[in-house]
Amino acid sequence: MRKPRFAWPLGLVAVLFLALVAAGCGGGGSSGSSSTTTTGTSGNANASGGTLRMAIGSEPPSLDPGLATDTTSAFVVLNTNIPIVYLGPAPDLKAEPGLAQSWDVTGKDVTLHLRKDVKWTDGTPVTANDVVYSWLRTISPQLGADYAYQFYGIQGAQEYNACKPSAANQQCDTMKSKVGITAPDKYTVKITLTSPQAWFVQQLSHTSFIPVNKAAVDKWGDKWTEPGHIVTDGPFMLKQWKHDASLTLVKNPDYVEASSVKLDTVKLNIITDGSTAEQTFNSGGVDVNETGWPPSDTPQIKNTPAYQQFPSLGIYYYGFNIKAIPDVNQRKAMALAIDRKTIVDHITQTGQVPATAFTPEGIPGASTINSESNFLKPTADMTLAQQYMNKVSSPVKNVNLIFNNAPGHKEIAIAIQAQWKKLGLNVTLKQQDWPQFLKFLGPPPDPSVSVYRNGWIADFPDDFNFLSIFQCGSGNNNTNWCNKKYDDLLKQATAEQDQAKRYDLYKQAEAMLTSKGGDMPIAPIYWYTFAYQVAPNVHGWNTNPMDEIDLRKVSIG
Amino acid sequence: MLKFVVRRVLWTIPIILLVIFMTFWMMRAIKGSPFRKSERAVPAAVLANLNRKFGLDKPWYVQYGKYVENVATFDLGPSLVLRNQDVNDIVKQHFPVSAQLGGLAMLLAIVVGVPLGILSALRANRVTDYIAMLFANLGFAVPSFLVATLLIYEFAAQLRWFPTNGWTSADTKVLPVITLSLGPLTYFARIVRGQMLETLQQDYVRTAKAKGLRWKRIVVVHVLRNSLIPAVTAAGPLLGFLVTGSFIVENIFAIPGIGRYYVTSVQGRDYSTVMGITVLLAILIIVANMIVDILYGFLDPRTRDART
Repeated sequence: MRKPRFAWPLGLVAVLFLALVAAGCGGGGSSGSSSTTTTGTSGNANASGGTLRMAIGSEPPSLDPGLATDTTSAFVVLNTNIPIVYLGPAPDLKAEPGLAQSWDVTGKDVTLHLRKDVKWTDGTPVTANDVVYSWLRTISPQLGADYAYQFYGIQGAQEYNACKPSAANQQCDTMKSKVGITAPDKYTVKITLTSPQAWFVQQLSHTSFIPVNKAAVDKWGDKWTEPGHIVTDGPFMLKQWKHDASLTLVKNPDYVEASSVKLDTVKLNIITDGSTAEQTFNSGGVDVNETGWPPSDTPQIKNTPAYQQFPSLGIYYYGFNIKAIPDVNQRKAMALAIDRKTIVDHITQTGQVPATAFTPEGIPGASTINSESNFLKPTADMTLAQQYMNKVSSPVKNVNLIFNNAPGHKEIAIAIQAQWKKLGLNVTLKQQDWPQFLKFLGPPPDPSVSVYRNGWIADFPDDFNFLSIFQCGSGNNNTNWCNKKYDDLLKQATAEQDQAKRYDLYKQAEAMLTSKGGDMPIAPIYWYTFAYQVAPNVHGWNTNPMDEIDLRKVSIG
Repeated sequence: MLKFVVRRVLWTIPIILLVIFMTFWMMRAIKGSPFRKSERAVPAAVLANLNRKFGLDKPWYVQYGKYVENVATFDLGPSLVLRNQDVNDIVKQHFPVSAQLGGLAMLLAIVVGVPLGILSALRANRVTDYIAMLFANLGFAVPSFLVATLLIYEFAAQLRWFPTNGWTSADTKVLPVITLSLGPLTYFARIVRGQMLETLQQDYVRTAKAKGLRWKRIVVVHVLRNSLIPAVTAAGPLLGFLVTGSFIVENIFAIPGIGRYYVTSVQGRDYSTVMGITVLLAILIIVANMIVDILYGFLDPRTRDART
């Protein structure tokens, strides 16, 4: 027959095919040998200049400080702006000067004294009026800011945020004028709180309090955060933003402490897939992998010098619907039977810490606050759990455990199901998609729910932010547990300026949750950590327990 | 032919209205809110402000009317999740990327798949055919996330011939295009092979052979033309799907295409983005099918009269 006239496609196909096969074989043969290669040579930690390339896990949904709610947006916002205060080193996380160089707190009144030498990137000075404008903008019902509630501690803020604006309704303007934020002079901001709040100045470190540039917002509307439009005042400026692909930040030469900034450029590559981010880091395509990696690769990555891990103010816990499991002894038995160490060692695997109390380890004062909560242990105490179970007069044998269908929750639920089975409980796992999960969660929880998964990441570094979740009527208290004494303790803590006394009140509240004599409306499981792959030539990589990465401290080379 | 085209274009209007209605209805049916992103409870006032800002506090028919109006005026409104972007921006920035990725993948699929199928058929039941069909079946069966991961591992991480991710220079495009084209490529190869084998059995081919026509001429003029019809039929919708993006390929290779938005906006209940992308997808598939119908007429004159 005829000579094949179609030999070239076959050749191409054969090459592709062989390549695929080779790739498959290669994958099996050398999976343990991914090397950490970086560009450049190792140098001193104070080297200046250079470009840091990072893999980040998502497109920042908004670079508007008033609208940013996620950690990726917050990371960019924090490094392109100056927050009102910075948080100092752990464990105290004390407020340190940022835009405010000092502050006075007298009861409900807080006065901020701003730096006078800070300039926007358009050359105009950053003043108290910018702060007042920005805060009122975020609180305003028109902006629709998620984090408006961060301001609810300020007098009149909640009322103004809840106002229904309309042409006929002039009330909103009246309410706006009643919000306790004023600028008596160009560099002073006066705030009146609803009550004394010892943590308020630390709370000002949150990105939602960062001022925005009114001229840019007025000129560009919703598009003011685009490169070319955006006006900021921080160590870096947004030079380029290719949506869903990359962001480029460059050093701001007019930043008030520009000499302390070491990097010239920061290139953020948006790589959502953990496996791709890991491969990109391993092949030297980025210097820091912030995206993460498939959980199954954790043991291998942990053994590389690139692995860096930081504690977080966050907790993963199970809540009990106390109407479904009314006997405190059964709740204690169930909390004691959870093998937290096994879960963090074999399921989550990124250095999470078994949580033996609700207050995270990293919260200021945690060692005092958790001193009485030594009832729960990292490993399961089945003997003690059984003893408590035996005290239950009418145990609830059939338990429904609900969790949302994000990765990892199911594995943890299965491990806990097996432990609870040893107590004679029949645990039905109910994995739900997010909206359905929220519906079942309440509050109040659906009557069919016995136990639910949940988590909490701090808004501000004070235990009030954690313990207040379980106040009666809290929108995050899905347990049906309500104890007036607990609420009273927290109310006292709110007004208590003396740190030691406040920690003692928190200790009593924590004890009501998780100590031997507590009501155990929840079972803590683990405290979160943050983990990254960081190339050896990156110096000063840091994350505080609030997940704030400060690029001023980072250098490369 | 003109009448046919005009009629088809007019027909797209009720179809798009129906698509909007069904998408709207389904998004309502799956419930959820674009404003509950984390475990953290959203205060009632904040939720009310958000619903008011984006018109979700209005009755359903007002919302539906607004969507129709938006589509009719080509202003798809703001994204509910990406707070500083409009859906128009999202489509404008990300659709061209997906279109390029899909277009290149389609091109590769045709350029390699069709000859592969022809070759297989001409060398039926020989080693060449077996190798080609093994490849075709394997390529069709192996899921794209696995192909993508293997290609990245071997050619990007190990050999370092190509970057692991992105959509900038030409070298970033090689691996994703190969990954995305593999499915349609092998599909074309199998469909062309099958049809070609059938055509080769036809009487007119035997007649041509008996007439003493050169084999090359028989294949090119008589067999090929009649064997491509099923491939063309399949190509239309396939192209529609390819150019509107692949969530998996775009996600793994970190390509800023529209496919990723389609999935994430459904998960995030970003109603305006879902609506915008669905309408775009619907229009593209309608147009692709129309082009196929027109091409069909050229390839098979018998179908031409039936439609005009």
